[in-house]
Amino acid sequence: MRRFKYLSGGIKAAAVATVAALVGIAGFGHAQAADKTIKVGITLPLTGADAEDANKIKNGAMMAIEESNASGAIPGYKIDVVVYDSGTATAGQYDPAQAATNTKKLVADPGVVANIGPQMSGEGKAMSPILSEANLATITPSSTNPDITNPAMAAQFRPKGKAVYFRTVTTDAYQGPNMANYVKDKLGVKTVYVLDDSGAYGVGIADSFQKQAAKIGIKVLGRDQLNPKDADYTTILTKIKAANPDMLYYGGVAQAGVKLAKQAYDIIPNVKKAGGDGVKGASFLKGVGFPAAEGWYCTDASPELMTDPKVQDFVKRFTAKYGVGPDNYSVTAYDAGLVIVDAIKRLVAANKPITRENVRDAIQSSKVMTLQGEVTFDSNGDIVTKIVSVYQYKRNPAKPVDDEAGNSVYLGVAPESPQT
Amino acid sequence: MRFYLGFLRRYSLAIVLAIVAIIMAAFNLLPEDFWQILPQQVINGVSLGAMYALLALGFTMVYGIIELINFAHFNVFMLGSFVALWVFQALGMESQNVILYGLPLIGALLLALAVTMVSTGALGMAIERVALRPLRGISGTAPMITTIGLSYIIYNLVLLGVGADTKNYANPLPPTKWDIPPALIFGDQAEIRLREILLWVVSLVLMMGLHYFVRKTKLGKAMQATAQDQEAARMMGVDVDKVVQTAFFLGSALAGAAGMVFGLYYNYTSFIIGYSAGLKAFTAAVLGGIGNIPGAMVGGILIGLIQSVGGSIIDVRWTDVIIFSILVIVLVFRPVGLMGRAAPTKS
Repeated sequence: MRRFKYLSGGIKAAAVATVAALVGIAGFGHAQAADKTIKVGITLPLTGADAEDANKIKNGAMMAIEESNASGAIPGYKIDVVVYDSGTATAGQYDPAQAATNTKKLVADPGVVANIGPQMSGEGKAMSPILSEANLATITPSSTNPDITNPAMAAQFRPKGKAVYFRTVTTDAYQGPNMANYVKDKLGVKTVYVLDDSGAYGVGIADSFQKQAAKIGIKVLGRDQLNPKDADYTTILTKIKAANPDMLYYGGVAQAGVKLAKQAYDIIPNVKKAGGDGVKGASFLKGVGFPAAEGWYCTDASPELMTDPKVQDFVKRFTAKYGVGPDNYSVTAYDAGLVIVDAIKRLVAANKPITRENVRDAIQSSKVMTLQGEVTFDSNGDIVTKIVSVYQYKRNPAKPVDDEAGNSVYLGVAPESPQT
Repeated sequence: MRFYLGFLRRYSLAIVLAIVAIIMAAFNLLPEDFWQILPQQVINGVSLGAMYALLALGFTMVYGIIELINFAHFNVFMLGSFVALWVFQALGMESQNVILYGLPLIGALLLALAVTMVSTGALGMAIERVALRPLRGISGTAPMITTIGLSYIIYNLVLLGVGADTKNYANPLPPTKWDIPPALIFGDQAEIRLREILLWVVSLVLMMGLHYFVRKTKLGKAMQATAQDQEAARMMGVDVDKVVQTAFFLGSALAGAAGMVFGLYYNYTSFIIGYSAGLKAFTAAVLGGIGNIPGAMVGGILIGLIQSVGGSIIDVRWTDVIIFSILVIVLVFRPVGLMGRAAPTKS
């Protein structure tokens, strides 16, 4: 019994502290009572194999909103952020089912007028129909599968018709094919073996890369699919070794990518390796390490921003605040935040009610100067500028291993191919 | 006639595989480079299989004695890979930056192996003592469900403790590899790596040690007696609790060793590795005949070989389908598994 006495003492102290804290918060709130609150969601796989990259995205988005709150960018309003994690222990990475559940929670909260996310296309495919039903707009700073915004698939992904899935990056309709052009023109690749990780993004980008590669005369020696939960890829890598391609192209994210890169380094050290934005980032680098990651080519579906002089101030603010540097998709997430803030600001200026529908319409008609340049969307929600940047990992001993910008070299923009 | 039927049943797997192979060869369905890469795929498959076998032993031993499928085993294996990682890190290794040779290498490996096996073994004993002994004698699925619960507890504790990202392993093994000349193996040139040899040696030594322990020592004989008939063994003075504890200790220690070997072999670990390896190892135990120790070894190697050789015939995305189809076919003809015997004394 004695133990419980101590315990209850502790609880009392905690209760007193909590009440004091609540009073403090309430007092603070009263001081700024003029400001109304609106909510913006953030849904990302903050735990799991892609956690590091997801957190960089989250921090970019948070920064945009916190800065706008601090500077009073929207007169009379403050934005509250509601964060949901779409990574689950069962999946070990992003989980589309969890993303759908989170979206339903967002939709059920009447205060939420817009969302930032998801990171992954697999999540996006699960979220988009739910968002469409609720007319709730989301802006993704990194998910690139083109199906979600493809008007031919509108019945599936936006049954209500209007675009709700906006992007501050371009799609794999460009990322895959443009990279195929790049490896043929610049790297002299004549034969390729294509793998994917069986996720929505991975299959999509591998398909689009493969299609363009075949079209421009790169011989595709084989195509196979990895189970991201398997540990062993030596079987497929031994087959690839026998096929002896110039390049291995991997469409997918870190969970399978890390293991593939480690084992590929052992079995096919002399074959060039490339992937999309799924293998570009701290999660991949930290898991793979050097020398296994050395020489991998990867892309981002955005312009190169880390060395852009206009972005340097952001890089400094971000690094000072979070202790680690941003990546390109921190910037596109920041841009997504700017677009939402701008949309709400225009509604306030026009004296329109801040409803989900109005916010969606305002985002649709955006013409916002952001860090990556002017952002405008087509009627499907896709960003109008379509730039794919190519990188290669090169160890810089002066930087920590998971510093992705420090350990990669920007090689240029992948040449766009005419879309069909 | 009876002889032929028995023959059919005994060698069902070999017969099925032979028929499949003949059909594929006859109709030219094999990929053209199949024979060239076969030796390398066999090396890959045996390595994979040795790991499954180590893991399968734990399932089979516990089942043999108390007829319980211990699902916590999956994540004891996973924890083992982390314990070994922590030992290597405590020795000052980070990713692959410290490469050791000769005696220091052997010393570091043995130290990590000992610490890992003792700690996962102790965890196994604790699991038995705390969660399963109170349920002993309760019929039905309660103990099995308990092991599933325990499995999730370990899984989530590790997830909370170390985070969900894939960890780069601290690995003191030099990346040495040797070419096997084509003349020796009638195929294309194959490579063999130091870590593959390490995996085989560790698995072989541990499996032989276990075999010796069960066959020759007093406690081992007590285990066999308990497996045959718990009541009778108790009447003859066998301390059944001690036997069960020993089985849990040994099985979990082997799982820990498998975890360490996994980390060194693949150079990574993550909280999620128990799932796919554990499921295959469990399949191996069933294929070999659950409760049968040599069966688990044979089952493990077979699953490994099917996975790698099967994957070189068709796309690797179908290998799980092949593995489980073969399991079903074998179990239809031999419900007790390849090497299991129907146990008349079990009740």
